[in-house]
Amino acid sequence: MKKRTAFAAFRWLLWLWLAAVIVGAFAYAPLAAKFIGQSSRILFFHVPMAWAAFIAFIAAGVSSLRYLFGNRPRRDPRHDRAARAAIELGLLFGLLATVTGAVWSRIMWGAWWNWDPRQTSIVMALIFNGAYLALRDAVEDAEKRARLAAAYAALGLVVTPFFFFVVPRITFSLHPEPVINASGQVDMNPRMLQVLLASGAGFTALFFWLHDLRTRVLAVADQALEAAAAGAPRAGIVGAWGSAPPHITEPGTAADPATASQRTSN
Amino acid sequence: MQVSGSIEWVMVVNLIIWTGLFLYLRRLDLQVRALESSQEAPAVEREP
Repeated sequence: MKKRTAFAAFRWLLWLWLAAVIVGAFAYAPLAAKFIGQSSRILFFHVPMAWAAFIAFIAAGVSSLRYLFGNRPRRDPRHDRAARAAIELGLLFGLLATVTGAVWSRIMWGAWWNWDPRQTSIVMALIFNGAYLALRDAVEDAEKRARLAAAYAALGLVVTPFFFFVVPRITFSLHPEPVINASGQVDMNPRMLQVLLASGAGFTALFFWLHDLRTRVLAVADQALEAAAAGAPRAGIVGAWGSAPPHITEPGTAADPATASQRTSN
Repeated sequence: MQVSGSIEWVMVVNLIIWTGLFLYLRRLDLQVRALESSQEAPAVEREP
């Protein structure tokens, strides 16, 4: 009960925190120099979303390593679910960061897309991590799927930092200087920095909450499918997205639940 | 703190969207918890 109360308090605090960030982004932080109009305010959402995407992909890699090398001889499916949930959320945040970046690009550079190194590298990171989901879909056997996906996501621990932090710095880019510039210093108005850091913390916490939710949904779905395969009553059976999976039917039919275990949590 | 008219509306819309998202996520959280409880309950009932 204490854990539940603490988590409920965390959720409400997160709501208050991000509400304060929104107010701060529009009413407290000043406008940045060299930015057109109010466009610098997008910084307080764009940067934290990109950061959350980075955290997500790294979390997926860590969960994958835990799946591959932890708890031998049996590989713990919880880590596989955690990795999958992290990749999905990383793609979501990454897409939002790309869209907000494109909006800002339209205002500042006159075009939604410029093949700027920063823009291009985040898309490459999204494609790389999106392939994780395609890989999962391509493998029927559940354990083989989890192993291959884990190996792929673990590779992301090297690839993701490369795309996020190295590629944009290799060539000239129109993108504004990063928060920590080439001299290793933070050259930003203090109020802007406060709101930006608060927003980064808020989005990171939001990612962990969403990750917890998604992992629990996947766990519920897996258990329901296993119960169905074992012939348990249908009550409470839901798919990973909250709807009843269409292939759960009466035994002996073409969509026999005995085959459902092979398709567990794709 | 000074806020110009149109930006104020953007801020309000942002707050409304965020509040709606938060309430939706909270509702999802409670639904998942109910599902988890319903999955645990039959297992407990089956024990001798």
